[in-house]
Amino acid sequence: MSSASNSLKGFARSDGRWGLRNHVLILPLHSALCATARKIADESNGAVAVSHDWSGEADADFERIIKTISGFAANPNNFATIFITIGTPNELMIIELAKKLGLNKYEVLNVAQLGSMGKIADVGLTLANSLVKEAAAVDRVSAPWSAIALGQECGGSDALSGITANPALGVASDRLVELGSASVLGETTEILGAEHLLAARAITPEIGAQIVEAVARYERSINYEGIDMRGAQPSRGNIEGGLTTLEEKSLGAAKKAGSAQFSGVLDYADQVPKSGLYFMDTPGHDIEQLTGFAAAGINIVVFTTGRGTPTGSAIVPTIKVATNTTMALAIPDLIDLNAGTIADGLKTLDEVGGELFDLILEVANGKETRAEAGLHHEFSLSRMYNTVIR
Amino acid sequence: MKGFDHGNRGVGVRDHQLILPSVVCSTRVSSRIAKEMSAVTFAHQHGCGFIGNDVGRITDYFAALANHPNVSSTLIVGLGCETLQGNELADKLLSKNASTNYLVTQESGGVEGTVNLGISAAEELRTKYPSPEVALARLHLGIDISNESTKIEELVVALTEVGVDIAVAAVHKNSGLNFSDLMEAGVHVILSFPDENQPASGFPLIPTINVASNSPLHLALTNDFDLTSTATTTEIIEKIYEVVNGRLTKVEEIGAGEIIAAREVRSV
Repeated sequence: MSSASNSLKGFARSDGRWGLRNHVLILPLHSALCATARKIADESNGAVAVSHDWSGEADADFERIIKTISGFAANPNNFATIFITIGTPNELMIIELAKKLGLNKYEVLNVAQLGSMGKIADVGLTLANSLVKEAAAVDRVSAPWSAIALGQECGGSDALSGITANPALGVASDRLVELGSASVLGETTEILGAEHLLAARAITPEIGAQIVEAVARYERSINYEGIDMRGAQPSRGNIEGGLTTLEEKSLGAAKKAGSAQFSGVLDYADQVPKSGLYFMDTPGHDIEQLTGFAAAGINIVVFTTGRGTPTGSAIVPTIKVATNTTMALAIPDLIDLNAGTIADGLKTLDEVGGELFDLILEVANGKETRAEAGLHHEFSLSRMYNTVIR
Repeated sequence: MKGFDHGNRGVGVRDHQLILPSVVCSTRVSSRIAKEMSAVTFAHQHGCGFIGNDVGRITDYFAALANHPNVSSTLIVGLGCETLQGNELADKLLSKNASTNYLVTQESGGVEGTVNLGISAAEELRTKYPSPEVALARLHLGIDISNESTKIEELVVALTEVGVDIAVAAVHKNSGLNFSDLMEAGVHVILSFPDENQPASGFPLIPTINVASNSPLHLALTNDFDLTSTATTTEIIEKIYEVVNGRLTKVEEIGAGEIIAAREVRSV
């Protein structure tokens, strides 16, 4: 085990939460404004932007969408958010909701008031650069362990996921939870078949029942569509990676959560409490999950991968942990830590778990991840309903 | 009317090379290749974690994008472990258009490796498959009627008289979904009448001419529209020909244009 003392430093927010980054986020509230938002971010001195395909429609997914977007804006890693709007009541609702969720500094650029997207781009760039300058002048200060809200994610799992990277993340997660951080396991898809084991670790039988129910609800929603989930998982990429069954995949995926007790179950993008281990009901789709984590206030993510993936969030540092050495060597610019050394017999699980704990602390303190260096800023809105007609 | 000979894709009114991310995880790598090559790409959230009819639906959608007449050549960029496999999509496309290639990040040495290989592959496609300028014999125009009060009968009669083929999309109040339907119909240019409460918008590969209504929002955003609500049939037709012959639309000038692809089932 590592001997890191509490040298954590972050950005204190007025609502008591902590940022591990100090981003200026350009957030378009309509799909047609995304190109303008990207243009501002690209030309700025370090502001970030996301793109999405929501055009303001108030359909069956409306509540889920505004919860996601407002939570993303309110993430404590944002020093400031510049909303780009056309000025509808629904957009105002998102901003009001974000304020309730602890939105830090913000500005609203209304295209109808400014007159054109070109004008938004000009005004937005000046504003973004002045906020970036302001953000850079803020110093980190000593933070408690509860400043860390860790998200656990896996993608492109293989036969070693459940033996190397996932249990190493479990070791690091257990240690953080013990120190007072929050840690969140997601991906309902990927605990299907292992839910009973996780439920047994809940602090109360009610919370255990909620874990089982989250999986049952998920399976019902898929079965309703006439599709057998147990036939669609593991994915083709997983099978090529050596996984044989959904249960094998799920048992391995659940190892990310270590051995701590579950303090609660969260719905998609629900705000994460300060301390403890939680389960969040999210899709396994990597980017929908990452976006939901960010919207929940999670400020750092560890993403274990067997096949390798470059993805990241615009605002939440995402640490990639390789499950096997072959991949870690073949595509080195995607990977922050190789847990394949466990399977190679070079290191113990506890050693790699300790290395990962140290790396989480370093990244929390500002060390850039591979995904951050590569400007991987993926964003996806999770929807539950058919979007063919809207 | 001027056009570009794009082989089996047909004659296009734009000469766009498409860098197509077959999964959301490849959008950043695709945008780096596209920026270097002045090619077209876009962000999207599809390609993985989807099931049922959506797999065929999105695969067909991407195939229609890659086979669009405004496309000179297509480079597909996949990740490797996703549901929609780039090589299978490429095989499907190659049977129609030889000017197609694909790369997989997990087999190309990571991000930098894929970007470098991607730039070389895109350059090779351009060299091997030039797009000579030719005359466009017949224009295929798509009309998005997201604004229910739009009256286009006179316009359709006038356009038909001058020999324009017309596809109309009016199923959705969301222009983005109508654009997708029109893209799959292979239209060269889109004439959009957006809903009164929606801004001007566009589609990445297809020049989109936005016609304003007299709603307060559209009046406030006059500069983002190509034509005002008072534009006559003659003025609209003149604008269409200008755009066909190379004049950029307002949305093209901004570089805007997103794809909105519909799905039947939630992500898994």
